Amino acid sequence: MAETPTARRWLGRLSYLAIALALMFAQLLPLETSPRAFAPPDLILAVTLVWVARRPDFLPVSLIALVFFAADLLFQRPPGLWTALVLILTEIIRARSSGLRSVPFGLEWITVAVGIFAITIANRAALAIVMTPQAPLSLSLIQMVMTILVYPVVVGVAYLLLGVHRPAPGAVDGLGHRL
Amino acid sequence: MARDKQDEDYVGPIRRLLVGLLVLVMFATFLIWRIDSPRVERFRAAVIDRVVPSFEWAMAPVTGVANLIADFQSYQRLAAQNGDLRRELQQMKAWKEAALQLEQENAKLLDLNNVRLDPQFTFVTGVVLADSGSPFRQSVLLNVGARDGIVDGWPAMDGIGLIGRISGVGANTSRVILLTDTSSRIPVVIQPSGQRAVLVGDNTINPPVDFLENPDMVRPGDRVVTTGDGGVFPADLLVGQVAMGNDRRLRVRLSADFERLEFLRVLRSNPRKAITDPGSLIEPDVALTPALAPVAQGAGATDG
Repeated sequence: MAETPTARRWLGRLSYLAIALALMFAQLLPLETSPRAFAPPDLILAVTLVWVARRPDFLPVSLIALVFFAADLLFQRPPGLWTALVLILTEIIRARSSGLRSVPFGLEWITVAVGIFAITIANRAALAIVMTPQAPLSLSLIQMVMTILVYPVVVGVAYLLLGVHRPAPGAVDGLGHRL
Repeated sequence: MARDKQDEDYVGPIRRLLVGLLVLVMFATFLIWRIDSPRVERFRAAVIDRVVPSFEWAMAPVTGVANLIADFQSYQRLAAQNGDLRRELQQMKAWKEAALQLEQENAKLLDLNNVRLDPQFTFVTGVVLADSGSPFRQSVLLNVGARDGIVDGWPAMDGIGLIGRISGVGANTSRVILLTDTSSRIPVVIQPSGQRAVLVGDNTINPPVDFLENPDMVRPGDRVVTTGDGGVFPADLLVGQVAMGNDRRLRVRLSADFERLEFLRVLRSNPRKAITDPGSLIEPDVALTPALAPVAQGAGATDG
């Protein structure tokens, strides 16, 4: 096989970065300037969670921090808060990813869903504590539910198009360490 | 197995420490933003100023194509629309006649009174580069900035009504917080009753009016215009019309077309005292005495 594990890993990182940039670009297009009653899913979060649950070796912490901090700045969110919450969540999922590898997909989905729910609530709670004006609760909840629902779709697309799948038992990285 | 354990012993704790530090730095950034918002927002404006214009070459065609598709869909309703427009045009002709007469009358009266309109009331036109990118924030980014003399707090309009105000100016870009954003508060007056109120953005297309003294005197259909109260905005910019919402609250149907913001004009508002740091929100009067002293002396000298 021509692809070494190291090359695959860099390819995985680059494809994540490219997807994140494309999603940010698409969200910034000035197509919809009137307020919506409906919030689309947070695709960047969904993609990040799929990558971190399935191939944590493709996704170093610094890359997640970079992408989410840039998104915080560009999307007029309070800078840092959402990034910190996502970092905590991805670290928790990363620590469990070896256990998640052998469970059925439903259980993986529930784990991720609980995580998304927790950081959404934590985000709103933190904003309420420092008394920042907030968007309507219904919009946040719609976005949260949409993100959870879109998770299996992102898993499917990532699996079919980009080959992001759970490492097989006994797979090793470039230095011969077990994944 | 033994190698795995050894591996973890060295790398694990250091990695955990670094990740913990990263999370702490992020929380610290958030707290700093909350404590000293102007400085962090300036940083944000500078970042956006560098990043978004470099997207422009790709954004313009994609936006154009998407709008083209939307237009194409609307061709289906073209015939009905055409009939409606003809009818509307008939009504508008009558209005135009009335407006022309009023304009002549107004010009005559202004001439009689020898009124001079404020020469500062000119505008800079900008093109919308990007929106806020989030369903929770209502703002757009214009391609005019400090280079074109834009200043924080100036009002932005489309051809007809108020859109929002400038908040965040970079060298080449500036951000307009729309009236529909949850952090937008605009002092308005409702004509003809002259009731003063505050237009409160709540992330819906028709923002409600708040702090209304006597809601009974306001009827749906009344015009809503800005006031000069507090030096926030110039007076008498058209905002919209009062309407009764489904929730029995008085809301404002905005005159500006928020569906399609493309070209915005930023009005050069009267210069106000700029807020540069959070400490001097209340203007210190210490500086008044030394500033006045030489003027008084000078006046005395010329008199004497």
